[in-house]
Amino acid sequence: MSNTEEPILHIPQSVKEDTHGYRSGVKKFLDGQTSPVAFRAYRVPMGIYEQRTVGKFMVRIRIGAGLVLPHQLERIAQLSKTYGNGIIHITTRQDIQIHEVDIENTPDVLEGLLEAGLSSRGGGGNTVRNVTACPEAGVCHEEEYDVAPYAIAAAEYLLQDRSSFNLPRKYKIVFSGCSKDCAFASIADLGFFAHMKNGVKGFSVYAAGGLGSNPVVAAKIEDFIEAEEIFEVAEAIKRLFDKYGDRSNKHKARLRYVLARVGIEEFIKLYRAERDKLKADGLPYTVPQIRDIASVYKVPEKPINVRLRLKNGDIPADDLSKVGQIAAKYGQGLIRTTQLQDLLITGVAEEDIDKVHSELKKLSVDVFGDGSSKIVACAGASTCKLGLCLSRGLAEAISEKFSHNGFSADLPETTIRISGCPNSCGHHNIAAIGFQGKAKRVNGKLMPCYDVLVGAKTVEGDAHLGKRIGTVPAKKVPELLAEAFDAGEINEEKLKNLVGQYSDFSSGQFPDDYYYDFGSNEPFSLAGRGPGECGAGVTDVIKLDIDEAKGALKSAPANSENIYKAIIAAARALMVTFGLEPKKDREIFAAFSKGLIEPGWVKSQTQQLLDDAIDWRMGDRESIEDLFSQAEDLIKRVEELYLSLDANLKFKVEPVAKETIVEEAETHNHVIDLRGVGCPLNFVKAKLELEKLETGAILGVLLDEGEPVRNVPASFVEQGQEVLEVKNSGDHFFVKVRRKK
Amino acid sequence: MSLTETQIERYSRHIILEQVGGVGQEKLLNSKVLIIGAGGLGAPAGLYLAAAGVGTIGIVDSDKVDLTNLQRQIIHHTSDVGVEKIKSAENKMRAINPDVTVQTYQTRVNAQNISDIIRKYDFVIDGTDNFPAKFLINDACYFEKIPFSHAGILRFHGQLITILPGETTCYRCIFSAPPPANAVPSCSQAGVLGVLAGVIGSLQATEAIKYLLGLGKLLTGTLLTYDALEMNFRAVKLNRNPNCPLCGEKPQITKLKDEEQIVCDLKDCQC
Repeated sequence: MSNTEEPILHIPQSVKEDTHGYRSGVKKFLDGQTSPVAFRAYRVPMGIYEQRTVGKFMVRIRIGAGLVLPHQLERIAQLSKTYGNGIIHITTRQDIQIHEVDIENTPDVLEGLLEAGLSSRGGGGNTVRNVTACPEAGVCHEEEYDVAPYAIAAAEYLLQDRSSFNLPRKYKIVFSGCSKDCAFASIADLGFFAHMKNGVKGFSVYAAGGLGSNPVVAAKIEDFIEAEEIFEVAEAIKRLFDKYGDRSNKHKARLRYVLARVGIEEFIKLYRAERDKLKADGLPYTVPQIRDIASVYKVPEKPINVRLRLKNGDIPADDLSKVGQIAAKYGQGLIRTTQLQDLLITGVAEEDIDKVHSELKKLSVDVFGDGSSKIVACAGASTCKLGLCLSRGLAEAISEKFSHNGFSADLPETTIRISGCPNSCGHHNIAAIGFQGKAKRVNGKLMPCYDVLVGAKTVEGDAHLGKRIGTVPAKKVPELLAEAFDAGEINEEKLKNLVGQYSDFSSGQFPDDYYYDFGSNEPFSLAGRGPGECGAGVTDVIKLDIDEAKGALKSAPANSENIYKAIIAAARALMVTFGLEPKKDREIFAAFSKGLIEPGWVKSQTQQLLDDAIDWRMGDRESIEDLFSQAEDLIKRVEELYLSLDANLKFKVEPVAKETIVEEAETHNHVIDLRGVGCPLNFVKAKLELEKLETGAILGVLLDEGEPVRNVPASFVEQGQEVLEVKNSGDHFFVKVRRKK
Repeated sequence: MSLTETQIERYSRHIILEQVGGVGQEKLLNSKVLIIGAGGLGAPAGLYLAAAGVGTIGIVDSDKVDLTNLQRQIIHHTSDVGVEKIKSAENKMRAINPDVTVQTYQTRVNAQNISDIIRKYDFVIDGTDNFPAKFLINDACYFEKIPFSHAGILRFHGQLITILPGETTCYRCIFSAPPPANAVPSCSQAGVLGVLAGVIGSLQATEAIKYLLGLGKLLTGTLLTYDALEMNFRAVKLNRNPNCPLCGEKPQITKLKDEEQIVCDLKDCQC
């Protein structure tokens, strides 16, 4: 049948055009016409991420509803072998990733994918991300009805609109076929749960959920909508997000912060207003056809689903194409990616199941698993630029431990989820047992540790995130789990007791080995996580130092010794944001001068304080007891800077040199983020935004370095507007414009 | 109304202009211009107004595209020969810019129908090829108080003037009535340099946009003449005529009537 070759998700024309334009975008960058920052802003929404290995890139392909065809897998495998490392990765949001591609080859990859009806557009960045659905949608006994066609149609609808690729932050949409929520709609920006009402297909709708560093479950915004209303709902939420999402602070930009800011009642009111407007004006884009999938990809009478358990979600390219062939021959004719980073061959006939198993055994990797718990781990610090702990090393160690303990596959599955940092890529917040990497200073040295979370649940209406029950050294985790499992099932009481025991860091010494992360020969350190490389977990360490500084000042008596300790701890606290971990006092002070005093982040008089402190240390000064209040000021400023850190470890407060914080407030949140928007469209958009304001009002504009910041403020001046400030914020600029006319 | 993402991109070069901006562009999108005659003058005017995002464009013509038109009427293509001009023009304008709503009038303007047609528009472009029509448009626009751009082309010469009825010099202030039959040859008799239509029609579109946006100085009270051979533009100042039969102190024309004069065999004249 020829129509089984037709891609399930139809890539809209505009996305095709953007993909065809990508080659010239790369060329401009390689020719030096585009700055690296501007190029990054262009590349990430195209689904191309830089990996930790400099110069190597990852391509994230959106697999709508997790449904992919054999010939598409073949193409992915072939591209990975030609341009990447030959290993394919399945993500927790059903995407498929090709790794280690050189930038000059990324256009070939994107064009090759497009030929097979695949796209990475919106794979990353502030975009409508992959629209996911239950991995067994259409072949599940418990579902209300097949939600995959709706997930696909919703994606097709939103992808038509280029503004879907320039939102305040990412926008994740999920469809679950029933309240059990296998797709995790309860933690999505927009989650749909299938329901039938008087024989009519529809959904209950939840919004503004999300994991990340401040995880929260989604809130209900609709009891029941008819299935055809999904487009209007998705469009309304997109518009609400676009209008009220905080573009000036990436850290607080997701939809859930809008809800947190305005409250649920106001949020629903805003949502209603957008829907009413859409009802009046009609939808701005063509509503795609909702195409039935089951009638094209048929299943036998008693279908069997075969799950391929992939370690870390990885599968060699050759194996991937073979899986496609097996699915084509014996299965439904399509392959599914799952939220557990597995693959699923659905619709195998009973009589074929042995053949499928024997074919799968021929693969180069074991896809049946040893029966131990499924472990989902994010990429971790080994490849992720944001990582803190080596989460995959821990996953490996747990597997190792479990295989020795002889767990059996027949037991109910307990999913273990590990994130190397608080960014939740391993979804530790929704696991039966979750682990979140963090660094702890123990006996003066950094130790890789994990927060332990239990009791999470993702069921419609009763979803809640895991509760933190303690922090344990990374090296203790495998042992902890082995002990806490009773006959393959987690014994929560036992686990809590054990975590309680292991959480005690005060009691004396730890083996040297505890200061090394899994699979690393270097003592655990946060050094090297320089600017641009987020580390929400890094902030914990800063907090520790600040607390230590405060503690030292508070401790009686307020003698020179304690004041000195406080100054050292305060000075050390923020160095990690520069990728530094100075050990000696002199190094700490030198780094502080260079990183914080010279650029004006702390007042220049602080240098005198540091010099006096060193003098006292060297015996050149009698006492520093008179510097108590200055030390207090220093801690206060360091804390201020710490609290202002954004996801890129940049300070968002103003340098002391120009205390323009008052002016910042004057923009009244009229801020437009035009990073990644080229000339002259950035000026066009900024100007349109300024036109919306009253004369005299101030607009904040975020711009890329290079051409944008050279041109946009100049254009405003030329047109008689007043440019109040052009401020360098690291890799971008903040420009303040007052409307004069 | 706010501009969509695609519109922002499409009209970016307008929006950048200090005098236009998003506000001006939205004004254009909400404006209505009528082009009478989908011929040499109407062709560039229609294309540019569509491209500029004038929200509603009306087009009046009763003819079909003829092979002899294609030398200057650039809105029509070879494949359109035999097609109704308004249909051909509509297709081109919609192809350039789907934002535009095109209203078509498959007719010739006359004293009975013209008022109803022009009444709905903010500005009228006279792209007709004969004197009776030009006088009719002048009179109708005067009675309905609709500003319009008058223009004419012949051989190597073109002329145009913008008229704000009742405020500035009108066509009858200059010429009280059509010239005697055959005193002035038509294009089909005398010929016309094709590109001349492009120059003058584009100037008419410029005037329309300036009027809609309230920009600059309109070509009122001044007849601009263009000599393509000498490459010379002349602005001839022409004051309002107190004896104008239409807008003068003692008007004689108080209602519309069709001028009798026949310029040439209109069937063959495809200006």
